[in-house]
Amino acid sequence: MKQTTHPPDPRLLDRAGAATAAPPPVRTASRRRRRPRSRQWAAWAFLAPVTLYLALFYAYPLYRNLDLSLRNYTVRSFVQGDAPFTGLANYRKVFDDPTFGPALTHTVVFTAVCLLFQYAIGLALAVFFNQNFKLSATLRALFLVPWLLPLIVSASTWSWMLNSDSGVVNSLLGAIGIGPVNWLTSPEWSLTSVIIANIWIGVPFNLVVLYSGLQSIPTSLYEAAALDGASAWRRFWSITFPLLRPVSAITLLLGLVYTLKVFDIIWIMTKGGPADSSTTFATWSYRLGFGNLLPAFGPGAAVGNLLVVAALVFGLVYLRVQRKQALS
Amino acid sequence: MTGISRTWWKTTTGLVLTALMLFPVYWMINVSFTRDQDMRKSPPALFPVHGTLEGYRAVLDQQLPYLGTSLVIGLGTVLLTVALAAPAGYALAKLRPRGGGLLSFLFLVAQMIPGIIMAMGFYAIYLQLGLLQSVPGLIVADSTLAVPFAVLIFTAFMSGVPGELLQAAQMDGAGPLRTFRSVVLPMSRNAVVTVSLFAFLWSWSDFVFASTLAGGGAHEPITLGIYHYIGNNNQEWNAIMATAVVASLPAAVILVLAQRYVAAGVTAGAVKD
Amino acid sequence: MNRPTGRRITAAALTVIAVATGTTACSSGGSTSAKDEGSSTYTIWDPYPQFAKDSAWAKLLDGCGTKAGVKVKRTAFDTSDLTNKALLAAQQNNSPDVLIVDNPVVSTLAEAGVLTTTDDTKLDTSTVDPNLLAAGQSGGKTYGTPIGANTLALYYNKDVLKKAGVDVASVKDWKSLTAALAKVKKAGKKGITFSAIGTEEGSFQFLPWFWGSGAKLTELDSAQGVSALKLWTDWLKKDYAPNSVINNTQTTSWQEFASGDYAFAENGTWQLANAEKAGFDYGVLPIPAAGGGNAAAPTGGEFVTMPVQGDTGRYATTQKLVSCLTSTDNLYATDTTLSYVAPTAAVQDKQVASDAKLKPWVEAVKAAKGRTSDDLGTKYPKISEQMWKAVQTALSGAKSPKDALASAQAAAK
Repeated sequence: MKQTTHPPDPRLLDRAGAATAAPPPVRTASRRRRRPRSRQWAAWAFLAPVTLYLALFYAYPLYRNLDLSLRNYTVRSFVQGDAPFTGLANYRKVFDDPTFGPALTHTVVFTAVCLLFQYAIGLALAVFFNQNFKLSATLRALFLVPWLLPLIVSASTWSWMLNSDSGVVNSLLGAIGIGPVNWLTSPEWSLTSVIIANIWIGVPFNLVVLYSGLQSIPTSLYEAAALDGASAWRRFWSITFPLLRPVSAITLLLGLVYTLKVFDIIWIMTKGGPADSSTTFATWSYRLGFGNLLPAFGPGAAVGNLLVVAALVFGLVYLRVQRKQALS
Repeated sequence: MTGISRTWWKTTTGLVLTALMLFPVYWMINVSFTRDQDMRKSPPALFPVHGTLEGYRAVLDQQLPYLGTSLVIGLGTVLLTVALAAPAGYALAKLRPRGGGLLSFLFLVAQMIPGIIMAMGFYAIYLQLGLLQSVPGLIVADSTLAVPFAVLIFTAFMSGVPGELLQAAQMDGAGPLRTFRSVVLPMSRNAVVTVSLFAFLWSWSDFVFASTLAGGGAHEPITLGIYHYIGNNNQEWNAIMATAVVASLPAAVILVLAQRYVAAGVTAGAVKD
Repeated sequence: MNRPTGRRITAAALTVIAVATGTTACSSGGSTSAKDEGSSTYTIWDPYPQFAKDSAWAKLLDGCGTKAGVKVKRTAFDTSDLTNKALLAAQQNNSPDVLIVDNPVVSTLAEAGVLTTTDDTKLDTSTVDPNLLAAGQSGGKTYGTPIGANTLALYYNKDVLKKAGVDVASVKDWKSLTAALAKVKKAGKKGITFSAIGTEEGSFQFLPWFWGSGAKLTELDSAQGVSALKLWTDWLKKDYAPNSVINNTQTTSWQEFASGDYAFAENGTWQLANAEKAGFDYGVLPIPAAGGGNAAAPTGGEFVTMPVQGDTGRYATTQKLVSCLTSTDNLYATDTTLSYVAPTAAVQDKQVASDAKLKPWVEAVKAAKGRTSDDLGTKYPKISEQMWKAVQTALSGAKSPKDALASAQAAAK
């Protein structure tokens, strides 16, 4: 991680490799018997490209986002680059904002509900498509089509369908005798509407990753269980679910990170409104920083960093769980 | 045998589910054929009764070159992502490097940086390097959407590769690179396909990077093409939706083919323990 | 040393380098920075991505370049993206020579120190209508010149009004307008559609009513301001306006009007061409003020500005380019393609002479008011954000118009 440049001179390659494999070789060899030196070298050689990449392309934006949140940026000082350092003032401002409370609630509800449904539906579909039937491969591929659409198009289509007056959803509901629902324009429904749209967008991701996970479970296990007379339900809970755990964990973790980040869908469908009723941290951050004629970069970045912290916490939990699993 | 009737039943269920899932896509297609005056008819027409091809005419006249660019960028992103992430996933899953946990952790954090902040960072870097409005530049930027995901996915999948297999390879005198190339990589085919799919899809539908880094250049991807129909005060929705339809067709074909390939690999029994 | 391992590492490292250099090597060919193509290339950014390379607009830019003896490199951006792009470019000392932006953005960019004043660049703005130029002025300085203007008025559907028995001449103030809407509803048609979305567009559409009530932007919660918001809220309550207006963009609102069910629609100059295509007889009416007469509507449209450059020697040529773009003949051509009203009296006359339908619009533009005028400048964006929020809050029923505007005023201060 300390390394930011790679000497292009081929003669230095060996040494570059050594430098990337950060731990001083002598000490490593003597202290860590479980991790042989050559293996450490090899490991870091495999990791070198991606480490370099991480340092090159993520360090600067991350630093930028932190810097933006710790200074008092006006449009003028953004351009001139002389914004005064104000410490945590932006964070204090964000905490005191009346939007903070509702945004926090909405973020938690939005993330939890989306994650739950995306994962459950995704897993059910993955199990379903894992059985070999006619057209299963093609249909599974078609499930990915929503991902091909630029978000502006899919989110606009949703707001089209959910329109109070000319939307197809209300017209279908009307046909079965349910009165029109103001999906996007009433504070009671707006959050539900964006959650529905986001679940729709997230299902294919869960389906594909979990399906690939299912594919790696050896069929011999199922055959043995079937011989023992285990029911399909039983087989799912005693074979599929436990063996899918590492893939499930990563799917949920990634899903969490992506869901926390979602702003385009909400922004296009409701702009976080009406009356902040569908504002999450992500849309709030965007609105502060970019959704206005006069950008407030500082508070915007501060809200964004709160999300980074949230992801950090969940990342730690994940690492903990993973380590426990590796040990057991 | 009851097998046939049972698969028939499953196929029907599958068709119904897919139809439900794709209803919004159908609605988009419906709008792409709709005349301006019928766009907000109440109640809406379920089929484009008085269909118009106006949207498609505009798109086919103007948008085809963008598709090519998007395709090149998508494939480039896939290659770069797999090349960077697969070895990393192997190392993290099987070679237990010191600091590996920290690295996975950093990848997790990296994904939380808002896209627009990433784009601002890239803009500054690319301006210095003269990479603005270039296709390789956009490929590298788009790969940042997929690389952290790819590393985590590869790690998760490769940790499932049985250790005995690796030891056997080592006994045969294979070093880490050979083991990786001829044992781990073939066994992680599903992961490779999954990662490739998403890398492709993300770069295909990326707008933030495209707009910040490639806007106004000679080669613009299809997501920017759509903005030809979004004016200051006015949006031509049938053309926008038509662009989305035209844009998703070639990609949909690629998807179906890719899925066939995975299915074929699995039934051929690629590598089993 | 363990030899095989060493070789393997070398191989792995080689791949790293190959990947790293490979990506940079193939791209070093195309240089793209705004400045490095030499001093004879001038860059222009505009928010008109709808105009392709072979459009009249692109040719006009090339022509002006040739006249000034330089090459012009034009880049079109999506409007909503252009402010950030301009700020970012300025931060990196990569500003274009000419920047065409939406008028309320001018004061923000001026505040950021991105734009030159017309005093610096000796740009002549004397023929421009002062009410239009005001949108580009702050602190007594002018930061650009309008390329064209548009504003809002009420379109009406003659067939619908006839069926409902409404004489459009009777619509003179809010009361008579509301009465007309009631009649339309009784006849089984829909009243009025507008856009109250939670963006600048929503504020833009609310302003004629807000100003028409006699309210001032510096005091959102005045009795007049509340009466304007109450007017809209009551329309929604009585079903004179559809609930969807809360989420409508101006395009969506227009599509509703184009369906032929609505009697009125608040929309802009740019819809004229679409109105012709709508397939029913339409008319245009200035937006009435509360107690009669015409309300001031906000001006829309872009400004041509000249961003600050490191090399001030470029200004002379840039000034030639801008003067060419805003010359009488070129303004006429540009504003015709954009469906805008020209900013100078000479060109306006020419426009009306060739198309009588533009007459009410020219008058509306003359009576219109810049959003950042009254020396509001960068105070406007803050006020505007609170205003559209208050409108949404009241229309969706979350708060009464009075409470919504009171909290907006508190937040905007």
